[in-house]
Amino acid sequence: MNKSLIGILVILIVTGCGSKEGELFYNPTPKETGLSFENTLTETDDLNILDYLYFYNGGGVATGDINNDGLTDIFFSGNMVKNKLYLNKGGLKFQDITEQAGVAGNSSWNTGSIMGDVNGDGLLDIYVCAVVGINGFDGYNELFINQGDSTFVESASEYGLDFDSYSSSATFLDYDLDGDLDLYLLNHAVHTQESFGKADLRLKRSYQTGDKLLRNENGKFLDVSEEAGIYGGVNGYGLSVAVSDFNQDGYPDIYVGNDFHEDDYYYLNNGDGTFTEGIKKYFGHTTRFSMGTDVVDINHDGWPDILSLDMLPEDETVLKSSEGDDNIQTQKLRIEKFGYHYQFTRNMLHLNQPGNSFAEIALYSGIAATDWSWSGLFGDYDQDGEQDLFISNGIPKRPNDLDFINFASNDQIKKKINNTKLVDQRALNMMPSAKVHNYLFKGTSHLLFEDKSKSWIVNDTLISGATAVADFDNDGDLDLVTNNINSPASLYINKTDGDNNYLKIKLKYSPLNSFGIGTKVFSYHNGILQYKELYPIRGFQSSSEPIIHFGYGKTAKVDSLKIVWPDGQFQNIKNVNTNQTLSISPENTMPFNYRLLQPSKLRIFREVEDNLGINFTHKEDNYVDFNRQKLIPYQISDRGPATAIGDINNDGKADIFFGGSKFFPSRIFLQKDSIYVEEKILEIYKDSIKEDVAAVIADFTSNGKSDIILGSGGADFYNKMSPLLDTYYVQNDSIFETAPLPEYFENASVIEVNDFDNDGDLDLFVGNQAVSNDFGKIPESYLLKNDNGQFSIENNEELQNTGMVTDAIWEDFNGDGLKDLIVVGEWMSPKFFANINGALVEKKSLDKEINGLWQSVIAFDIDKDGDKDYLLGNWGVNNKFKASEDYPLKMFYSDFDGNGSTETIVAIPKNGKYFPLEGLDGIAGQIVELRKKFTNYRDFAGKTIEQIFDKKTLDNSIVLNASELRSGYLENNNGRFTFVPFESKLQWAPIMDFLVYDFDQDGADEVLAAGNFFGVKPYHGRFGSFPGAMIRDKNDVILGHKMGLDLSQRSTRHLDIVTLNNQPYLLVTFNNEKARVYELIKHN
Amino acid sequence: MKKTLGVLLALGTLMACNKNEEPIIVTTNELHMAIDKVTEIMIHDIFSPPVASRIYAYPNIAAYEIIALHDENYLSLEGQAHELTAIPKPDTSKPVNYSLSALIAHMDVSSRVIFSEDKLATFRDSLYTIWESRNAREFNASKEYGLEVAEHIAKWMNADNYNQTRTMPKFTVDTDDPSRWQPTPPAYMDGIEPHWNKIRPFVIDSSNQFIPSPPPPFSMEEDSEFYKEVKEVYDISMEITEKGDASEEIAIAQFWDCNPYVSVTRGHLMFATKKISPGAHWIGIAKIASNKTNSDFNKTVYAYTKTSMAIADAFISCWDEKYRSNLIRPETLINEHIDENWKPVLQTPPFPEYTSGHSVVSGAAATALTDIFGDNFAFDDDTELLYGLPIRSFNSFNEAADEAAISRMYGGIHYRKAVAVGVKQGRDLGKFVLDNLTMTN
Repeated sequence: MNKSLIGILVILIVTGCGSKEGELFYNPTPKETGLSFENTLTETDDLNILDYLYFYNGGGVATGDINNDGLTDIFFSGNMVKNKLYLNKGGLKFQDITEQAGVAGNSSWNTGSIMGDVNGDGLLDIYVCAVVGINGFDGYNELFINQGDSTFVESASEYGLDFDSYSSSATFLDYDLDGDLDLYLLNHAVHTQESFGKADLRLKRSYQTGDKLLRNENGKFLDVSEEAGIYGGVNGYGLSVAVSDFNQDGYPDIYVGNDFHEDDYYYLNNGDGTFTEGIKKYFGHTTRFSMGTDVVDINHDGWPDILSLDMLPEDETVLKSSEGDDNIQTQKLRIEKFGYHYQFTRNMLHLNQPGNSFAEIALYSGIAATDWSWSGLFGDYDQDGEQDLFISNGIPKRPNDLDFINFASNDQIKKKINNTKLVDQRALNMMPSAKVHNYLFKGTSHLLFEDKSKSWIVNDTLISGATAVADFDNDGDLDLVTNNINSPASLYINKTDGDNNYLKIKLKYSPLNSFGIGTKVFSYHNGILQYKELYPIRGFQSSSEPIIHFGYGKTAKVDSLKIVWPDGQFQNIKNVNTNQTLSISPENTMPFNYRLLQPSKLRIFREVEDNLGINFTHKEDNYVDFNRQKLIPYQISDRGPATAIGDINNDGKADIFFGGSKFFPSRIFLQKDSIYVEEKILEIYKDSIKEDVAAVIADFTSNGKSDIILGSGGADFYNKMSPLLDTYYVQNDSIFETAPLPEYFENASVIEVNDFDNDGDLDLFVGNQAVSNDFGKIPESYLLKNDNGQFSIENNEELQNTGMVTDAIWEDFNGDGLKDLIVVGEWMSPKFFANINGALVEKKSLDKEINGLWQSVIAFDIDKDGDKDYLLGNWGVNNKFKASEDYPLKMFYSDFDGNGSTETIVAIPKNGKYFPLEGLDGIAGQIVELRKKFTNYRDFAGKTIEQIFDKKTLDNSIVLNASELRSGYLENNNGRFTFVPFESKLQWAPIMDFLVYDFDQDGADEVLAAGNFFGVKPYHGRFGSFPGAMIRDKNDVILGHKMGLDLSQRSTRHLDIVTLNNQPYLLVTFNNEKARVYELIKHN
Repeated sequence: MKKTLGVLLALGTLMACNKNEEPIIVTTNELHMAIDKVTEIMIHDIFSPPVASRIYAYPNIAAYEIIALHDENYLSLEGQAHELTAIPKPDTSKPVNYSLSALIAHMDVSSRVIFSEDKLATFRDSLYTIWESRNAREFNASKEYGLEVAEHIAKWMNADNYNQTRTMPKFTVDTDDPSRWQPTPPAYMDGIEPHWNKIRPFVIDSSNQFIPSPPPPFSMEEDSEFYKEVKEVYDISMEITEKGDASEEIAIAQFWDCNPYVSVTRGHLMFATKKISPGAHWIGIAKIASNKTNSDFNKTVYAYTKTSMAIADAFISCWDEKYRSNLIRPETLINEHIDENWKPVLQTPPFPEYTSGHSVVSGAAATALTDIFGDNFAFDDDTELLYGLPIRSFNSFNEAADEAAISRMYGGIHYRKAVAVGVKQGRDLGKFVLDNLTMTN
């Protein structure tokens, strides 16, 4: 049936009879619908992208039933053309009533348009924004008040909304909960971006460019921005605004997406008429060129999540010929010197983690790269109960084309611009156009989105901007309309048509807020929560139909709906049949307790205020690996500090050792009666040059006193520089003295202690991670045998060359009573070395090799079958690396340019081909010869690794692989091991350490996992989205923020338990951060 | 077998073209054109000023060594330029045209150092076609020899540590040190060529042979010498911008801008306006002098060679100091301490301030050119015409150098000391180059 339908569709498309059909949407033609509006741009010498930076941002679109006939009408605003209002006549026929309605508008350059009932008469009014005061644009923002007879009267000045500034859009909200609708006006800067300027430019208000919060006072809108704490500076390139009660306290909050270097704003409503901006506090990073924004609860937890769009191309050719992210030093400057936040060029999906910062998962979810993206709108388009995502797309000219920037522009436009300030049409023509198709993603469980752009919709070559969602044909499913540049507007009509069930909810609230803006609806079916808030103004320069829509798949009945009205009253409706449109007004309401929404925290961890006196802040030195080894995939200099727990002063209490980075001394905290107190042991303190990455405290000399062994790393030292040597402090008579260790010059990662030869003293495994200045070369790791406190290298070639080691455990995996060794590392598979009477012999124990970027390993019976499984921390899949068994991540290692030093080229698979991760500037910055081969970006872009380097060069290089990036565990099946990946929420960042302990003190052990990592280029962003998690068993994983633990945006290195006065505490050591102590709270 | 074939071919060519055989005359103008072509390609490919100076020097030397072998007026640089060994001798049984070989070697070495080889190849091939049609035998012999010499020079060139410096660490930005150079608007580019002092110099003993006196101690105290220098840059800039674009100072600043890559943002557009480098400007002046004196091919090669070697060494010396003192640019300090909206007349180039590269290079180049063409050599400098700038006239090379130096202050990108000390550094270096090179009898 379905197939034949598709067949018919195909025929329809092929024969081209009118409308175009995708599997889920079809596009009726303007001829069929009567929607002939076209946002035509006429480029002139006086007006083009050179004179006005947002020349291509397009107009607006607003949808709503303006005549209350039950049919949703459409208003388009045009940049240079007149606005149009179309009355929906039913049957998807629209009538242009612009003239009689009097809404054509008088401003020279219109932008966003929105609908809302400003005067509380139950009729939708229209507010049209305009850019005024530059390029000869005149006019003002116009407010068309609906007269009820399909005519409107422009009344902006009467309401105090006739701004003549640089407006992008606006949104209605009742921020002070006084019952009427206030307005947030979004303006944009035109300030030259030739220099960043300090971030605090945003504090100085500017009428033209600054955003405004306007409080409705009896029909007059008053600018309260200043007292409300709303920024309004010359650097706010506001392109989108979204309203939602992000922290579920009953007061609407605001998210503003700003283009260019200005940060996005996250305003939390204090409930007293003021807001507190907290982008840095609540977000690890944001989009850089922020465009459209949307808010929806995508993970069914009743908390709004945020989508912010950017312009990262999906296509390799476009990607490599477009300007990318900042270089790492520019980023540093922008953040440290100018005061901005981390911003990266790709879409961001910010998952709300109540109480914690948002977890950003767009790369994981598969929606990070959708090219020049304007409007992102969530909706359950296929009504299966999961939110899908539509993204409108395209720009007539790509101004960030690298060939244009570097080559084309010079001869063509320089003179003309310098002499006349005009751009040459010929030069404009040299910029490639970006008629990128619109994207449509199907939402699935596990927060993954499936790209359906090529099947659900017909691929277009239009420049689509502002988009609105509405049910135009009243069949219950969600349709779309896009305002296009230089083409008629597109209508996307949804063909779900009852295949899946839905509910459409119209709210009738109060006279002053007749559509119930800000109302929340919680829907429950089969134990599944769906949550929506009514803020129809979303996406980009547009407003959607003011309805709440849910899809339910095949479920016929909704168990209950909870409606929470803006005034904090709520009502429940039980047993609701699907496939109907409900009209709901407040009835039998009761006060809603917002506290109930706050997740009932199973509080297991509580941060200890005084940190038990452990006043240790690790400061990383300012060595940047990428300044020296420009092409390595990640830094290796930031793997410290070492943490070791042991009784340093032999008083029976466990003390703490923290390593220092290069030129920072290590620190020792001794356990006293009720607190830890720092102790400076001169012999150890004075050796500050080395960077201590691994440390162990134990009695190696069998004299009853603790000794200390430190593994040095840091990657800054190289060749046979002595700071690479590991250190051995022997304690005699309470004095530490250095003792020799075998001489090897490596970057240590792990030291693990065990008497492997069973002779009564403690031996060591020293794992080493990478070779400084020669990343890709396998460092040597060592087994050190102890003889009367003196160590010698136990020769074991297999172990010595095992790989780029990051972690190891001594563990009796074969049950013979002797501890064996398990070693994990990067670009290698976990390796099992059986201890056979003191000889370590590799034993293939895995079903198959799984090369990963493994960071950590621990033994734990995760499947509760009685044997030990091995948990493995990996890189995660919320990054730009890609790996699978068939197409592993590859790293080519060779001296590509034959100049005596090696390079690594990382290549990722895309559609079965391998492309370098770095662009031409990156690679040729190191391998200059490539500049001769590729004298422009166009030629380089889209080339596979084999096309960039010749076969011989690649054949001569060593290839390192990683086929698995997910963290997971090795399931123990009678001594054979099979890899099982963890669930999705453990894949959002690298997992750097595990710790087994009975954290909730219920008698059974759990595993705590922690991670995050920032040692990557801005191309990847920052891996900070993992708050830590407690794993009870394979099916019971709790994220940190639900237990009082927030480790997100910090990069954990070590988890340890310290016990003070019989009370266990969790000690978390971070890289470049203050170590934190958490009390474990006993339950039951 | 192969040889016979070669002979046969040669015979064949000889017979076929016999009637067309006439001597090939290589003109000075063709040499100028070849160098102009390289300049044009360099602008397209975008090379930083130090790298550009290297690109000029080696092709010139290749050509010069062939000339010196044949023309007793000129002496080989063998043993004079560091590590340069004698070029191979031509097979005297063949009709080698030395000027032709020199130009061919020049173009061949050029194509090795620029990126867009195809652009040079088009130019070269059109010359090749003309020459070959005129006298294939002479052309082939000269080409063979020219390429052999080019290979020899390229080997020498490739040992100058240039390739190694490509993989050396980037300059590390550290904003905690207020005196330390930081990337500047609008592109905030990394500091370029922090290891240029590791490039083998041509004549000077080492990159640190001409260490200038250090800049004034960093201090933003208002009565400190350093602060006064910062303030002076600001004051001059305010004064001349008030006078407007027509002011002499702004004209001077623009004329000597010589920035190969000026990043421009207009509206949503980014692009680069590209100009010749300081070295290229002086190469242009060498051309003007050669033309004005009607210098023959050999003298012109000589002039280009000597000037370009002095320029290249000047960059090595200057860059050595730049990344020794790592001094912060006026733009950063003025924006931070005096006027956050101030912008220099010229875009600040991406490397530390002290000493002024243009000053050092101009000092060195003017010294070399004075030696070749004499002092008080008046000329009209039309080098920048192509880039939309007017002609300026000078009474001597030294006068031009002094103006180039002070232009950096007018441009708001250098303090006074970097300019004054820089031009002296360049002249001292230039004199050393002259004293240590014997190129003419």
